[in-house]
Amino acid sequence: MMPDATHPPARRAAALLGRMVLGAVLLGPILALLLHASSTHWFFPRLVPAEWTLAPLLRQLGDPRTRAALGASLLTAGITTGIALLLGLPAARVLGLRTFRGRSLVLLVLFLPNIVPPLAIGMGLNVLLLRLGLAGSIAGVVLVHLVPVVPYAILALLGVFARYDEGYELQARTLGANPCQVWLRVALPLLWPGLAVAALFAFLVSWSQYVLTLLVGGGQVITLPILLFAAVSGGNPTSIAGLALLFAAPPAVAIALAVRALAAAAGQPARGMS
Amino acid sequence: MTRIALTGITRSYLRRAPPALAHVSLAVEPGTLLALLGASGSGKSTLLKLVAGVEAPDQGDIAFDGRSVLPVPAHRRRAVLVFQNAYLFPFLSVAENIAFGLRVQGASRATMQAEVRRMLDLVELPGIERKRPAQLSGGEQQRVALARALAIRPRVLLLDEPFSSLDSAVRHTLQEAVRRIQRELGITTLLVTHDRGEALAMADRVALLDRGALLAHETPQRLFARPPTRRAAHLMGVTTCLRGELAGGQLRTSLGVLAVDADGAPAGLATYAIRPEHMRLACAPEPNALPVRVLAETFRGERYEYLLQAGDETLRVHAFQPFTAPADAPAYVVLPTEHLFPVCDDAVAPPARPA
Amino acid sequence: MTRARQTFGIWLALAPALAVVGLLVGASLAYGVAQSLGLLAILGTSQVSVAAYRDLLDGTGPAGREFWPALGFSLWVSLASTGLSALGALLVAAALGRRPADGTILLMLNLNLAFPHLVWAVALGLLLGQSGLLARLAAALGLIDAPAEFPVLVRDRDGLGIILHYVSKEMPFLMLIVLAVLRTQGTEYDLVAENLGADGWQRVRHITLPLVLPALAAGSALVFAFSFGAYEVPALLGVRYPRTLAVLALESFVNPDLRQRATGMALGLIIGLVTLVVVGLGRAWQRAEVRHDA
Repeated sequence: MMPDATHPPARRAAALLGRMVLGAVLLGPILALLLHASSTHWFFPRLVPAEWTLAPLLRQLGDPRTRAALGASLLTAGITTGIALLLGLPAARVLGLRTFRGRSLVLLVLFLPNIVPPLAIGMGLNVLLLRLGLAGSIAGVVLVHLVPVVPYAILALLGVFARYDEGYELQARTLGANPCQVWLRVALPLLWPGLAVAALFAFLVSWSQYVLTLLVGGGQVITLPILLFAAVSGGNPTSIAGLALLFAAPPAVAIALAVRALAAAAGQPARGMS
Repeated sequence: MTRIALTGITRSYLRRAPPALAHVSLAVEPGTLLALLGASGSGKSTLLKLVAGVEAPDQGDIAFDGRSVLPVPAHRRRAVLVFQNAYLFPFLSVAENIAFGLRVQGASRATMQAEVRRMLDLVELPGIERKRPAQLSGGEQQRVALARALAIRPRVLLLDEPFSSLDSAVRHTLQEAVRRIQRELGITTLLVTHDRGEALAMADRVALLDRGALLAHETPQRLFARPPTRRAAHLMGVTTCLRGELAGGQLRTSLGVLAVDADGAPAGLATYAIRPEHMRLACAPEPNALPVRVLAETFRGERYEYLLQAGDETLRVHAFQPFTAPADAPAYVVLPTEHLFPVCDDAVAPPARPA
Repeated sequence: MTRARQTFGIWLALAPALAVVGLLVGASLAYGVAQSLGLLAILGTSQVSVAAYRDLLDGTGPAGREFWPALGFSLWVSLASTGLSALGALLVAAALGRRPADGTILLMLNLNLAFPHLVWAVALGLLLGQSGLLARLAAALGLIDAPAEFPVLVRDRDGLGIILHYVSKEMPFLMLIVLAVLRTQGTEYDLVAENLGADGWQRVRHITLPLVLPALAAGSALVFAFSFGAYEVPALLGVRYPRTLAVLALESFVNPDLRQRATGMALGLIIGLVTLVVVGLGRAWQRAEVRHDA
């Protein structure tokens, strides 16, 4: 018999190599971004920045255009997430807990925005929103963001409801809780960790949206991705990296924390989609 | 104390499937415990949900003390469910769980504290107010769930298999505790169970449910001794039913002639049943004995079980003593007249035996 | 009666979400088709015309000349990205078997998921560009002397940068899917198979693969659909020629020459159509494989 037949040395070495490659792929770009954002005058072929400074990053933060974009991004993503949760919660609940005729058809319709490219959605709605007078407004951008965000929120919440036991609600009702109390005192406390993560990912989908905002915002709604895309063609690496970091860091940190907390609480990772 | 009356209750879930409950009428006297006994799919849990008000019947009426409660929503019915899964809210402490029903009614802090203490004393778990549900054992969780249900002083207590996930020692003490508390408080109680022993041990009355129909509604003693129909007899553990021609106190079956207590029953086709522990094995022919072949003997600890072949029927007999006879000697099974009782054929056909 | 009320309740709960998604997608497709057929209120024309499609398929007109190369380039980039991502995720599944993935890897995968594509593309540019971090590493090791000697990995004619982007973004996504499947149902089957005498490779072949394949296939369809229709990444990491269909579509649509809008819209719809065809073919192929296996 071979000693430790499941882990021969060759396989262990391969596994280690795989982990290192994976780590390099996942962290390399982030490292490059961080180094560029926190240094200045960092020219080839220096491997490590000569000057470490947070000044460009702080300058970026102080720039009124950056601040305005940050505000627009927070506003659109926040409102979109709120509406998506309001629409998505009842839908995800019945999709997750009931079997009924037409369920798969509903899922198909909700899956549609994943197949129809956002380009086509944005170009089509561009004209409609122009007619409605909503083009170039936050309201218009929110409306269009709902197309990918609502299905996303529902699919994320579906997983939450799959692990949900309605028995707690029956129990609360027979104990004398009215429907409102059942929701506030029982369902919400049971659901909220999953709900928070679903909201976070839904927020992220809206927050990262470029094409839809561009096509419907018509250059008047300047969110962070719009600003960043414009900066990439002109700016220097330091300011680009700074802006990119500003855009990516808050949700990345929030999601990392949430995943940590959730994994600790339930022993299960949050599942998301790109 | 509340009297529950169910009249003509029908409930179906799927359009084309047979109803989960069909025309069930039943009354529960104030302060008594009624066990709803049946296999899974018999409709017993559905009945409980209808009484609790978390589901509504398609037809029929449910009344507490003569007043229909159908217009009353679940949260105002004061009919509390206790489930197999105790459903203690994991985000609340034991005390907060017990006080839940009082809190949603807007009770004062002092009332809640006093009531929590009183309830914990009642279920014999004093001093665990600050614990979390996850820190409790299965039996303790059920006791807390019971305390939480009783804290709102319900009119009706509805127990849905509350003991079935517990191991047998804990189950027995908890059964005794529930029965004691139920008697003390005089609370009208419905207990859903698939465990015959539990139903017989705890109930004032047992309602036997089978595929949505009410088969019998009797005291445990009567139901055990004289189940009224073949199906009821089967559910009470009677495996021997003999069909034959009844005439002059004798039942002519394909296996032989048996003297039975006809008690004025009309002559003609009849079915008589007998409990397995009421039959007896013998080495020599005697009155009411049928020749058999012993197929198998199983030692069950407190008894022996024999599988017998009589004609083309197989019989099961329970005995407290082993049957010691030479292997090739003739054997007989004795069916004493005083233990043979008539059963009706069921209106619904018995289910096909699983292959 | 109660049954009817329940059904009503179900559809009432679904209605708002379905209405918003259905109406917006429906309206966008309707307006899109109308625009692509030349029914453009802005231009004041109201004649139905298939000119936009004809020019594209014939390869004539400003955008049409690029159509077929762009289609080929888009398919190459998306199929390569999807295939490599799925392969990577499968390798991870095979390597992990029933051992749970550790928290650090899960955290890194989720962190990757949280990065917007736009930012990731910028970061990849800073890592892989000719004066990027990797090039500096090569210089420090004495492999190259000047930035120009470093291979062109981003903004290259073969779409390597775009593919590298999608693989490094979508492979983690597919890995998370695979890990979720393995976590929820992998271990018992694997133990049973081992108990029945299956060796490591047989377990991967007969237990792990069939378990993860349905979820992986669905995830891969999402990856293909996304990478085939996305604009930002090829716009940032691609070159002027060949362009992807998405870049061609958006740049035609926002062209100051309003007649180009019909072309852009037609391209958008063609992207959707090709996505449907490829995803459909993929599904049919997967089903055939399953039947062949059984």
